[in-house]
Amino acid sequence: MQFEHLIASAIMLTTPILLAAMGGLINRRAGIVNIGLEAKMLAGAFVAVIVSSATGSWIIASLAAALAGAAIGWLFSLSITRAGANMIVAGLGLNILVAGVLGFILSWVYRSSGTLRLPDVALLPKILPSGLEFVPLVGPALAMLDPLTLLAWMTTGALPFVLASTRIGLWIRATGNASEMARSVGLQHLTIQDFTTACAGFFSGLAGAHLALVSLGLFNEGLTSGRGFIALAAFYFGRDRPITTAFACMLFGALEAAQIRLQLEGLPPKLIGTLPYVMVLIALVVVSIQAQRKSST
Amino acid sequence: MRALPSPAGLQAVGLRKIYGSVVANRNMSIATQAGSIHAVVGENGAGKSTLMRLLQGVERPDGGEIFVDGVRVDFTNPGDALRHGIGMVHQEFMIAPDLSLLENLVLGEEPVKRSWGPLSWIDWPTARTQGQALADQIGALIDWDQRAANAPVHILQFVEIIRLLRRGCRTLILDEPTAVLAPVQVDELFALLRNLRTQGTALLFISHKIGEVMALADEVTVIRQGETVFHSSVAECTADEISRHIVNGELHHVANDEAPQPQSELLSIASLNARSVNRSHTLHNISLTIGSGEILGIAGVAGNGQNELVECLVGLRPSSGLVTLNGIALSALNPSQRRRHGIAYISADRRHEGLSMQASIETNVVAGSHRTSPISHGGWLNRAAMRKIAKDRLQALDVKYDRPSDPVSTLSGGNQQKLVFAREIATSPQVLIASQPTRGVDLNGIAAIHQLIRDFRDGGGAVLLISEELDELIALSTRVAVIADGTIVGTVKAPASNLPLIGRMMLQGAAA
Amino acid sequence: MVNVLVRSLDIVLPLLVAFSIAAIVLLTIGENPVEILTLMATEAFGNVRRFAATLSASTPLLFTAVATAICFRSGVFNVGVDGAFVLGGLAAIFIAFKLPASLGAGLIPLAFIAAAVTGGFWLWLPGVLLAKYEADEVVSTLMLNFIAAGISGYLVNGPLLSPQSGNNVTPLIHETAELERLMPPSTLHAGFIIGLLCIIAYWIWCRNTPSGFEGAVVGQNPRFARAVGISVPAIIILVMVFSGVIAGFGGASHGLGQMHRFSDGFSPGYGFTGMAVALLARNHPIGILFGAVLFGALASAGTTIQLFSNIPLDLVNIIQGTVMIFAVIEAARLMKNRRRQTHAV
Repeated sequence: MQFEHLIASAIMLTTPILLAAMGGLINRRAGIVNIGLEAKMLAGAFVAVIVSSATGSWIIASLAAALAGAAIGWLFSLSITRAGANMIVAGLGLNILVAGVLGFILSWVYRSSGTLRLPDVALLPKILPSGLEFVPLVGPALAMLDPLTLLAWMTTGALPFVLASTRIGLWIRATGNASEMARSVGLQHLTIQDFTTACAGFFSGLAGAHLALVSLGLFNEGLTSGRGFIALAAFYFGRDRPITTAFACMLFGALEAAQIRLQLEGLPPKLIGTLPYVMVLIALVVVSIQAQRKSST
Repeated sequence: MRALPSPAGLQAVGLRKIYGSVVANRNMSIATQAGSIHAVVGENGAGKSTLMRLLQGVERPDGGEIFVDGVRVDFTNPGDALRHGIGMVHQEFMIAPDLSLLENLVLGEEPVKRSWGPLSWIDWPTARTQGQALADQIGALIDWDQRAANAPVHILQFVEIIRLLRRGCRTLILDEPTAVLAPVQVDELFALLRNLRTQGTALLFISHKIGEVMALADEVTVIRQGETVFHSSVAECTADEISRHIVNGELHHVANDEAPQPQSELLSIASLNARSVNRSHTLHNISLTIGSGEILGIAGVAGNGQNELVECLVGLRPSSGLVTLNGIALSALNPSQRRRHGIAYISADRRHEGLSMQASIETNVVAGSHRTSPISHGGWLNRAAMRKIAKDRLQALDVKYDRPSDPVSTLSGGNQQKLVFAREIATSPQVLIASQPTRGVDLNGIAAIHQLIRDFRDGGGAVLLISEELDELIALSTRVAVIADGTIVGTVKAPASNLPLIGRMMLQGAAA
Repeated sequence: MVNVLVRSLDIVLPLLVAFSIAAIVLLTIGENPVEILTLMATEAFGNVRRFAATLSASTPLLFTAVATAICFRSGVFNVGVDGAFVLGGLAAIFIAFKLPASLGAGLIPLAFIAAAVTGGFWLWLPGVLLAKYEADEVVSTLMLNFIAAGISGYLVNGPLLSPQSGNNVTPLIHETAELERLMPPSTLHAGFIIGLLCIIAYWIWCRNTPSGFEGAVVGQNPRFARAVGISVPAIIILVMVFSGVIAGFGGASHGLGQMHRFSDGFSPGYGFTGMAVALLARNHPIGILFGAVLFGALASAGTTIQLFSNIPLDLVNIIQGTVMIFAVIEAARLMKNRRRQTHAV
């Protein structure tokens, strides 16, 4: 029973990381490393809570969150593709800027520091009929299944095919791999990059909506707590491939879910929390050494 | 299945192209015929690349006319040329390394079953059938699922050719297609080009290598100094005749002054070998010696290993074999240590390696000496001494500049190169390795730089001079070694009177 | 002449945009931007006490900005100063409460040495990975920031947890190890002087040492540097270690001068604010001093403004984020010179 609940909470905690990672993965495939995922998640969560409270609809709220993320992503992309900004510094700047704007609105409009509680926030519904709790192993997970989690996994499943077999998928890969060549065959490589950054914002916005609406129904300045960077770690570790990235996300989600348990076992949660980053560091070194070996043969 | 393009012809008459005050093409005429391979040969700078840019629509001519199938055309961009069935296979392939060969083939013109704009699903079976049909027709064996990065170079070339055929090209321009290929791959390429010829494609084949021209082409046109100077059917002329037309008449102001006899041996290179890193040229078994008071010229068609040889000697590229200076082995030393032993280096790539363009004139002229006295004193950098040294060095070589703090990019090409010499000669080195020392330098600058090289030689130094300008090599060198395909194919004494021999060795390799 | 104009525009533009955005934000909430910004200026510089508070807030930024500039100047894109600052601070604090109080003021140099060694080692790691294996330093240093936060978080909740107080804090350091307050009751402490010394040392290093000269040459064109005999890998490792040492000093100064113990949230992003300062200053020492004071002023005035006029402190973050983005929009031209031969296929 305990273990089953662990699975359920692992799946729930994986969803926002997975959504943001898929967005960031598309973006990186087109040649942009998106350090600003965190900002777009936070903005998505904020918008989701406000819209959900105002409309009472989780669908409109999620959509609004996604569009807010996409809009921020698109503007961010313009600063990189058209104004030639360094994508790393601009991304770090965006995180600070968006956190500042949200905090400002929070305290000025809502007279609150840090947390936004609104009445009548519609949470994400459970999509499966009740009574599944008693299915062995995955019962609680099925009972808790929400639409954004479903969407996240459907996206993960579809993405390999979209990337491999649609025109836009091929264009994205060509742009990230050889932008000069993409341009020479007539593709608008900058527009393609802008599109993927907007995509990254779209999915990060959804990730934020999930964080805000899955159970709490409120916004908090620390709600994302570095998940945008965990997502970054996931697609770095998954080498930009959807399936391996999804595995990394699941691993990181499970680690988070297991933290309390591991803490009881005497393992320090703070150290366990660094595991995604340590893994990326190791992967980075391995990849670099391999690349170096390859170029000299 | 798509039929191969029907016979066509591209014709250019009296093309002229002027850049500022430089006439790149003055009178170029050339015609291709369906089912025929037409070779265009000429030295670097003869105007081949300008001609290609005009035929391909990258630039518009200042005079003359271009016809396709007898109809006059006016190309404003490469897309225009492509629409008229003229395609170019570049030396640097337009290939995305992480995509499969099939993906590379269709990129930009993907076949779809039902069009949903960018979201359309690509019809991979059709793409494969199209590609395979064309590959079969021209006799190419291609594994379409292979990642481009893993495919051999000539296969990438085939894919590029098939891509152009798929887009309906009936005339193909190939820019030195064999430069990057191994001999076996060259054979495969030639077989494929012959198939294309049989099937009615017109081919324009740009080359440096006479052997290839004789083996493959039906017609040959020689370009020299922006003009088409010779045209013949290959069957009716000889390799020597073509060589003569390429180099002939080049030497206007050349006379080798009486060089002093070389003294003792200074730099010795014994069986130097280097592996290929990131597609660089391999070097095999290079052995050379240069004496004090001698200038050894290295002649060769561009891209035959000259740059790699220079980098090995300076210590920027790993190599095996033995390099000694005055009997001291340099092989295990890094660039800084080699410099301390007396190696000076004039880089062929002045803009990216010889100079740091954004940095100040002062920085550029003292870099490398900043750890030696008097600039460095007791571990500190003496800015005043640095300024003075910079000023002295610039003055000694009469470099014209405004302020030493200005970026070096504000200087003219000739002054930039004099600055490089000022830096390199100031430390009294024993060996000067000068690669393309007059590239991008005006006439006065060239004279000054040639004098600097002679002065260095007369002071007892040894010079390794690498140049694509044959008359420069002949005017300065005591001996000329010819490099082809990463190895030295021969050394010529009294180069001024052996010009045809050098030309043949460069163009035809060791077989000459 | 044109050059000078363009360069000063580079510096002024990000500030102009940032303050324009701040003004627009203030207008939307119905405040008079001129009034508020004047008020902020008065709050930051109006009298000696307020100026001292501003300098106090700018102290950590002096260190983190210099630490960032050292690397950026050589074309090394180190974003890991925050991590080195945190771990350096923790190391210094550990020395300052663990070693016997009887060591007196001698604890201070020991603590600074520990911080320097910790910070230097921390950034030596990505330096070596970059120099030897061409492992992207942006990713490695970014990851190391999170790892540093994890390690310090673990230590202050476990082995170094104060037995007296709740959680997330170490014991207080010995009083003898505290850096002297310069203008009590203000929190301005001797760390500010040390920060100034670091700026001066950085300046001297840039101008008057061979390795400083080499750093600039590598930053402008690594291929040229290699050709004239400069060892590019050695410079990369050197600037990374210097950066770590300075960041470690910053942590020590903040720990011994300001916090007197280590707690979660020891650095509220000082490394990143320092990056904004370095970018704005174009790595120039004088620019760094002014930039750090400017951001210090924003932080200290922002706090008071929030208290008295209800304008959220987040305005400061808005300004900082905007400055960072617009600083690189102009800096893009300079950064393009950063050439690498990696993965050229």
